[in-house]
Amino acid sequence: MYDFSEVEPLYAERPDWADVTPLQQYQGVDPLAPINYSTEYQDATDYFRGIVKTGEISLRVLQLTEHIIRMNPGHYSAWQYRYRILLALQLPLEEELRLMDQYAIDFLKTYQVWHHRRLLLGALRSVDAAAAELEFVARALDTDEKNYHTWSYRQWILAHFNDEARLWAGERAWVEHMVERDVRNNSAWHHRFFIVWGSGMRVGDEDRERTLKRELMYVKEKIALAPNNPSAWNYLRGILEHTHTPFSTQAIFVQLYTTSASTPGDVFDLDNPPPSASAVLPCENALEFLADIYEQEGGAQISKAIEIWRSLADEHDTMRRKYWEYRIKGASQT
Amino acid sequence: MKAAASESLPPLARNSHAMHCKLCLSGLPFSQVEMDSSRIALGFYCLGTLDLLGVLETKTTPSEREAWRNWLWEQQTHGRYGSGFKPSPYMTSDILLDEESEFDTPHLIMTYTALMSLAILRDDFSKLDRPGILKFLRSCQRGDGSFSASPNGGEADLRIVYCAFVISSLLDDWSGMNVDAAIAYVQRCSSYEGGYGQTPFGEALGGTTYCAVASLYLAPSTPLSPIEHRLSSSERSRIIRWLVQKQTSLGGFSGRTAKAADACYCFWCGAALNILGAGDLVDSAALASFLGKCQYQFGGISKAPSERADPYHTYLSLAALAIYKPKGTNESWELPQVDVLRNATVDTALWARNRIRAGEV
Ligand SMILES: [Zn+2]
Repeated sequence: MYDFSEVEPLYAERPDWADVTPLQQYQGVDPLAPINYSTEYQDATDYFRGIVKTGEISLRVLQLTEHIIRMNPGHYSAWQYRYRILLALQLPLEEELRLMDQYAIDFLKTYQVWHHRRLLLGALRSVDAAAAELEFVARALDTDEKNYHTWSYRQWILAHFNDEARLWAGERAWVEHMVERDVRNNSAWHHRFFIVWGSGMRVGDEDRERTLKRELMYVKEKIALAPNNPSAWNYLRGILEHTHTPFSTQAIFVQLYTTSASTPGDVFDLDNPPPSASAVLPCENALEFLADIYEQEGGAQISKAIEIWRSLADEHDTMRRKYWEYRIKGASQT
Repeated sequence: MKAAASESLPPLARNSHAMHCKLCLSGLPFSQVEMDSSRIALGFYCLGTLDLLGVLETKTTPSEREAWRNWLWEQQTHGRYGSGFKPSPYMTSDILLDEESEFDTPHLIMTYTALMSLAILRDDFSKLDRPGILKFLRSCQRGDGSFSASPNGGEADLRIVYCAFVISSLLDDWSGMNVDAAIAYVQRCSSYEGGYGQTPFGEALGGTTYCAVASLYLAPSTPLSPIEHRLSSSERSRIIRWLVQKQTSLGGFSGRTAKAADACYCFWCGAALNILGAGDLVDSAALASFLGKCQYQFGGISKAPSERADPYHTYLSLAALAIYKPKGTNESWELPQVDVLRNATVDTALWARNRIRAGEV
């Protein structure tokens, strides 16, 4: 990136800025948590305040905002002013997005960087630009695969262009690849829920029963691969609740994970993939799930649920002992 | 196992934590320049730490406190959007402008944290422009019920909604918003996992789950949303399950499923559980043991053991410990009661409620 400090003298010393009256920051009474500004920053922001007063819209101010943002990516007003110049001068917004690519990677955790992209893409209304953004997000997630801003930006793009089949076409395959990379990445599981269930119907997914079947197969395969993975279990619970499917439909599958030793059957049942031989069993999430099935069935089954909660409290998940006792109490009362 | 955890608990280094925050209040190095656009919030975490530790009167002088009150009031702006607080004078010039600049507007998070900071400093709020604040709230609410941080845009999510709810509750006046629309927005942020995302469709996150739960408990009953039906018992159970699941084997809470423990989520998740009446489900010995290890050797508390401390994690860790007092520890761990809905000590929250309330003038 361009290093402003190396090449340029202070604005106060530059003849091409001599026509601008710098405005110093108001100091007033003893400030709370004052920041010890560098000379370079103070100089740039003095000129920026001067510019905001006159309302100048120009390329040199565009550069000034970049200079300030480089030093302080959280400078909200510099971002705002920058966006105003881009629109007023009708500058190519795609180019601005490409300039932002490096910013986003350098300042992944800064909200403004992502907000600026949203504004740009919203103003562009271009499906091509949105497609390029999806590619950019995929690259950004290579650097930080659980970054909340990055994932929400992707969800925003897809929701914003909800009817653009082209943008959505590769989405499930892409997020499958993200889960492939790290089966415990909850952001990827969440994204899958968003694209399959959260955001309206996709082409090919109209048959909800078939979709549910496919999703059940998918998540159960992933659980078989890594049974102690709360993200996958939460997804399984989520899709059952979303489709009002009773948990009991999964009883056979879940019971493969609640016993302490893996017992491979003679016939491999595609609907109910067993845990791998190396799996650590019983799996807490499976025990919880089975107890929920018993609780939903009610009646005499409640005692079976209580037995499981007891074992979670005393043995398998002692950190949450009080929670499991609370579940026992809740079920005993009804 | 449990007993061993609390026996090995180090003392709470109250003095160094107070000094860490006192130092930040007196000034920040240039490397912290990003804080300029949220300086009041930072001030709130520093002052809140001193308040929780009960040392505001001893570690600061009356003239320092007066200067901070004056500085905070200088951030209150009046303009076409009403009245609120801006983060700092970072966009304010040393010459007075005739009108409020479009680039120096008040901010909702800063307005909430300014009011709480002033309450910590026991201000009398005679300078508060109450009708102006209501107008400011109205200019920040958007069509979908959410609030943006500033009237002319910026981020809009559950954090900002929470700030608008607390401000309305302090004013004891909800005419600054469409309550039903705001509640509907909160409910749209609910995720399949049980927690709440930052925006609709967002992944469940500890901080925003706190914001959602606290908001639902702060807002008064309306004909469309009577408070007793706002959360069904099954929804409540799902939120509790998700929150409880966030306590990790290290004792600290994580902010999302399968992420590492982080001190700030001990407050966000712990306080949300407390609001839901499920605070006794937290393993408080394990929680304290984690936070004890997050104490930074040069003062302050960090997000995880052996990370650098900051006022945000320091304040939230202490607030979490105030809710979840570890049993059988020495008096260094004694902290005052907190108002979990408004995120301040009970005394400070009461001071704020009594003096900010509209119609008292
Ligand atoms: Zn944190």
